[in-house]
This record gives sequence, structure tokens and C-alpha cells, in this order.
Amino acid sequence: MPNTVLELKNVSKSFGKRKVIDNISLEVKEGEIYGFLGPNGSGKTTTIKMILRLIDLDKGTITVNGFDTKKQFEKAMECIGAIVENPDIYTYMTGRDNLKLHARIRNVNTKRIDEVLELVELKDRADEKVKKYSLGMKQRLGLAITLLHKPKVLILDEPTNGLDPAGIKKLRDILKEIAHKDNVAVFVSSHILAEMQLMCDKVAVIDNAKIVKIEEITNASEEKIEKVEIRVENKEKTVQILKEKFDIEIQKDAKILEIEISSEKIPTVVKELALRDAGIKAVIPKEHSLEEIFFDATKGGKK
Amino acid sequence: MSKIFKLFINENIKTWKKFSTKLSIILIIVSLIGTLSFVKIIQKYEEKSTATNTINDWKFSAEKEIEYIKEILKDDSISDSDRRNFEITLEKYEMAIEYQINIYSSYWKNNLLNQITNLKQKGDTSQIAKLTEILKNNDFDGYINLQKEELKKQGLSQEEYDDKIMILDLQAKYEIGKNTNEDYWKTSILNETELFQQSVRTGIDYRTNKLLTLEQNQDYKDKIKINFYRLENDMPSTDYSVGNNFRILFEVMASNFVIVVIAITVIIIAGGAIATEVSTGTIKFWALTPNKRWKIMTAKIMSLLFYILIVTLIASLLTVIFANIFFNTDGNEYLYIKNGNVEKIGNTLFIIGYYFAKIMPVIVFAILSLMLSTITRNSSVAISLSLAIYMGNGIAMTIINSLLKKDWIKFIPFNNLNLADKIFPNFENPIAIMTGDIGPVTSLGFSLLVLGVCTILMLVTTYDSFNNRDII
Repeated sequence: MPNTVLELKNVSKSFGKRKVIDNISLEVKEGEIYGFLGPNGSGKTTTIKMILRLIDLDKGTITVNGFDTKKQFEKAMECIGAIVENPDIYTYMTGRDNLKLHARIRNVNTKRIDEVLELVELKDRADEKVKKYSLGMKQRLGLAITLLHKPKVLILDEPTNGLDPAGIKKLRDILKEIAHKDNVAVFVSSHILAEMQLMCDKVAVIDNAKIVKIEEITNASEEKIEKVEIRVENKEKTVQILKEKFDIEIQKDAKILEIEISSEKIPTVVKELALRDAGIKAVIPKEHSLEEIFFDATKGGKK
Repeated sequence: MSKIFKLFINENIKTWKKFSTKLSIILIIVSLIGTLSFVKIIQKYEEKSTATNTINDWKFSAEKEIEYIKEILKDDSISDSDRRNFEITLEKYEMAIEYQINIYSSYWKNNLLNQITNLKQKGDTSQIAKLTEILKNNDFDGYINLQKEELKKQGLSQEEYDDKIMILDLQAKYEIGKNTNEDYWKTSILNETELFQQSVRTGIDYRTNKLLTLEQNQDYKDKIKINFYRLENDMPSTDYSVGNNFRILFEVMASNFVIVVIAITVIIIAGGAIATEVSTGTIKFWALTPNKRWKIMTAKIMSLLFYILIVTLIASLLTVIFANIFFNTDGNEYLYIKNGNVEKIGNTLFIIGYYFAKIMPVIVFAILSLMLSTITRNSSVAISLSLAIYMGNGIAMTIINSLLKKDWIKFIPFNNLNLADKIFPNFENPIAIMTGDIGPVTSLGFSLLVLGVCTILMLVTTYDSFNNRDII
């Protein structure tokens, strides 16, 4: 059973009269990529800033690796690496100089600097001024800085913001490697659903200052019921076949043929339809997606 | 402690990697070169103007004068008394040419000549022979003795009489004013000493007409002692207007100018210290390291002070090096009294010390800028406000001091900024002539106390704001 390394208990915060965070509790375990999902302005960044004690909390406790972030601030912070909002790097220095500044504070030797540079694939450009870096490179340099001291918990606020698909994929691969190989707990906030789905093991949805849902995201290899849309030339025939062979009821006048089926059975269905000349144009998987979790939980963003 | 030290090293790296920091060093060098050229131009100009004043000039104009008077005397229409006066004046100029008296520069001979002329006009001939004898023999001691006799007649108090006799003895001993005006600084020291003696004797400051404190009294006594020492060892004072000492003029002007440059850069760095890091977000990175916030702030303040130390050291050393290269005179030594004896500080050490004395008030402004930066989190507000206060406080205080003639104005920090003159009280600032209103007179300890309290209050505010406010 993996240990809990980040725990929020009944945390509340208000700015003036407005409640920004209302009684939030969550646990993040080792080796877990934990998504923190919510629309803009729902309190994601505030929560992260409270974990890092950039903002004081009104109520509740936050512990990192068992250390209370208020009473044992320095010990707690030794276990954390974090990027809040943007990777804020001194642009007039080279990437390596930036790393050296942090290495000095964290008591890390130069060998580790090369290690992290290799990990984020920045080794070739480490001696250039950060001014000349692209956004993705800055993001990765920020990540390298947070990884210097081998933190137990990695906290990233909207890490994919502004990155192109290639950059996002690179970041995802790095994060997965860190979490699953080095057993680091990664806590990522985002408002991009698809991204979270590809990356995270667990997702908490926050809306209007409250956590509305916490859901595990199961792996694709496991058996599960999926929604599939089938587009065919011969609709009636298809409905008939589905009813006869697979015992799936569909109304005849339905415009879209949408079925719920175990993922293992999909090949058989397709084979059957093809043999009986149903004229398959497309089989589109309608995943049981985070989007649904999200919209279910936040009620379409309208409340 | 080691954590703070590591943060301190980081802060220094951050400061020195910035382009603006490198620029400030260049600015210091440029301002030094600027001052040097300015002083050199003045020097050239002065040398030129003295060169045209040749020694024979006086003779020429005396001869002209004689010709002119002779021309007038040819006219029969003038009255007898006028004729007599003209004749006396004519004799004066003839005497001047006869005894080689430069009527423009030789003060004491000129004085004698005028006395003779006066006596002739009064028709009092008893003294004339004696005075002419002194003139003829170039008898400076005789002139001094004459002055002493005059003093006896004036019916002064014993103390005043003694003081004046002492001055005359000094004048005789060092032959001050005997020849031309080359040793004019000695005359100036003599005049100054007389004023100091007068202040000590009467207990009233000759500059402010206020009663002297015990400390100021001692100060004047020390200054008299130092003046004697200067005369004895032929060490000109640093007063530029007297000694034509261009080296000290350069050194002091450079220090005044460079201190302003340093102050501006320090205020800019301090003003950006928190605000810029907050606005670029980099402060978060430090707040996330396992360091309490007060340690981060302490490291910042330490690095600021370290920057001031390094820059001031560089500037003062450069000033001395420039002075050594471009002026062939030796630097002035600073004299002070220790246990009743006169002690010396060498020029290099004095200039460095003078720079540091001048930079101390700048530290107060740096902390002010840092405080504003932390409170407002806006570097432009912090920098512009601090710069305005730094630049404007002199004029503002002059006005306030003249309007409010109260005793409590000495507690205003801005009235206590002039530490250099209090640390080096015996240094005659060659460009201090401009300072008309000197404000309330306070001791060094008092000024340091006022500035210290002020700085501590600002630091408490800074720490409090930085430790307890959210970083958003």
C-alpha cells in the first residue's frame, strides 16, 4: 500500500467575504499522478498556493510527507518541488546558471544538474540565455529545477498551458517516467480534460470552491463498457443484426446508432456486420470520458 | 546561518549577472572621467590667467599712474590742497617703483605705503622716517613690531591682546604675507585661526552667533592646534579656493558626484529587489525553497550592503588611482587630534574613508527603497519615490529649517544626513562654499542615533510586510 505524501484536511480560505476554497480534503499517494480539474476561477491555483504556503489558510491542515506545512515549513518544503502559474526563471541568465542557484540552496551537486538536464532533454541548450528559450523549453527548465532535489511531491499548476502538442507529449512522458519510476507523487492542475485523461491516474474535480467528484481513471487495457457510434449504409439491417446476434435494442427511428458494449466484443460486432453487408462507414468510439465526469459534476459549467 | 549565506551568494550572483549592474560600474568610471576633465579644464584656465598676470604688470601700471598724475599737475587751475594730495599720491607710486613694491600683491608693503601717505596728508612727519626705513630694508619683523605697538594702544582685554600677539608672532615666524601671494593659504589659515580663537575666547560661534557647546569648543581648540601644525610642517590646507589644490578638488568633486551615481543605482536595485521578483514571479521560487521568508529578506539586505561596499571600494580606489596618475602633486593628508597630539591619515586611506562616510546616508535611502518595494510591490513607485526623496530632501530641508526655527527639527532624519563632515570635522571641504544654511548643529553620535532608529523602523516594516503578506 503506497504511502500518502500529500494530504489536505478540511481546508478553507476566503478572500474578504468570498469563499475561494470551501472545506476541501484530498490525499495524494506515492507514484500517483493526481489531476486537479476545474474551470477557470474555481480555486485550483489558490489551493496550490496554499499547499506551498504562499497564501495562508483560514482553516484546516496541510501535511506533506507527514510534516505540517505551517509548523514544520522548512522540512515540508524539502519534500516539495513546484511550479506555480509560470516557470519563473531569471531570463538574463543561462539555464545552467538558474539550476546552479537552486542547486546551492538545495545542497545538490553538479552531477545532479546534468542528470535533470538530460531528463528534460535540455542538455544541448543549457548554456544559452533563457531569453532565447521557447516556452516549452522554459517549462522543461522549470521542471528540471523542481526535480533537482528529488522531491517526494511534485506540484504543477497548468503545466501544459501554451505548449504545442509535441511539447505536451514530451512533458507527459517525463511526468509519467518520474511518477512511475521514481515513485514521485505528481499533483497537476489543469482545465484541459483530454490532457488529464491521458496523464492522470486519479482526478479530483473542483467547482465553485468545492470538490465535487474524485474519480479513478482506469486503464484502457482493463475490461470496460464503452460507447460506440456506428455509421452504416443499411441502418435497418444493422439494427436487426444487433438485436438478433448481440441482443442490443435500438429504436428504429434513431438518427445515430449508438451502442454500449464491452470493449472486447467490438471486433466481433464489426466482423458480423461486415459479413452481412451492412455497409460500415465508420465505427467511432464514444469514450466514457472525463468530459462527462466533468460536465456531470459541474453541471455543464452552469450553476 | 549557512542557509542564509547560500541565499546571500545567490543574491549576489543574481545582482552581478544583471546588465544594469555592470552598467553602473561603467557609469561610475564615466563620471570619474567627466569630473577629471572638468577639473583639468579649470586647471588649464587658471594657469592661463595667472600666466598673463606677469610680475612686471604692476610696474607698468604704476608708471602709467605716475604719467597720468604728472599730466594733471601741469594744469594750473587745480586748487592747492588738491595739488598737495596729487603730489602725495605721486610720491607713493614713485616710492613703490623705487623699493620694488608690488602694489597689487604685497599686502604689508602696500599697507605701509598707505600709512605713509596718510601721515603725509595729516602733516604728521614724526613716524614717516621710521616707516620708510622699514620699507627700504624690507624689514618684515619691523612691520610686525609696528603692528604690536598699535595693538597696545587699542586697550584690548588681556586675553584678546594675547591672542592677537600670538597671531602676529606666527606671522613673523613663518613670514606669512612677506613675499607675494604664493603662500596665500598661510594667510587664510591665520585669519581662520584668529576667528577660532575669538570663538573659543568669547564662547560664541563666529559662524552662527550661537553659544558653543562643550564639544564645539573642544572642536575649535583642536582646529587651532591643527592649523599650527600645518604652518609648522608646511602642509597646505585642503581649501581649494586658497591653495589652488586641484588634486583635492578632483577627489572631493569625484566623491560627491560618484556617490550620487552609486545612490541612484543602489536605490534602483533595492527598489527592484522585491517588486521585480514579485512581478516576474521569481519570488515564488525562493518562497518555495525550504527557507523561512525572513532568511530570504536578510540575504537580500546583506547582498545590497555588500554591493554598496564593493562599489564604494571600487569607486574610491579608482579616484585615488586617477588622482595619482593625472595630478603631479601629493595628496592631502587628513589631520586630527588624538590624546592631544596631531595624527595623520594618508591620502589614499582618507579618500576611502571619506567615500564610506558619504555612503552611509545612502544606505538609509536603500533601505527606504527596499521598504517601499516590499510594501507596494511596484518597483516604479518604490524607485521614483525614493529617488525623489533622495534628490529633493536637501532643498526641502533648507526651506523647512528656515521656516521652522524650532529646536526639534534636529530630530528630522534628513537634518542628520551630513555624516562625512562630522566624521572628518577637520577636513575643509573645497566645495563647501556653497552651503550657506548649515541647519541644526548636531553631534555625530546624535545623527547616527536618529538615522539608526529610522533604519530599524523601516527594516521592521519591511520584514513584517514580507513575512506575513500572501504572495499572489
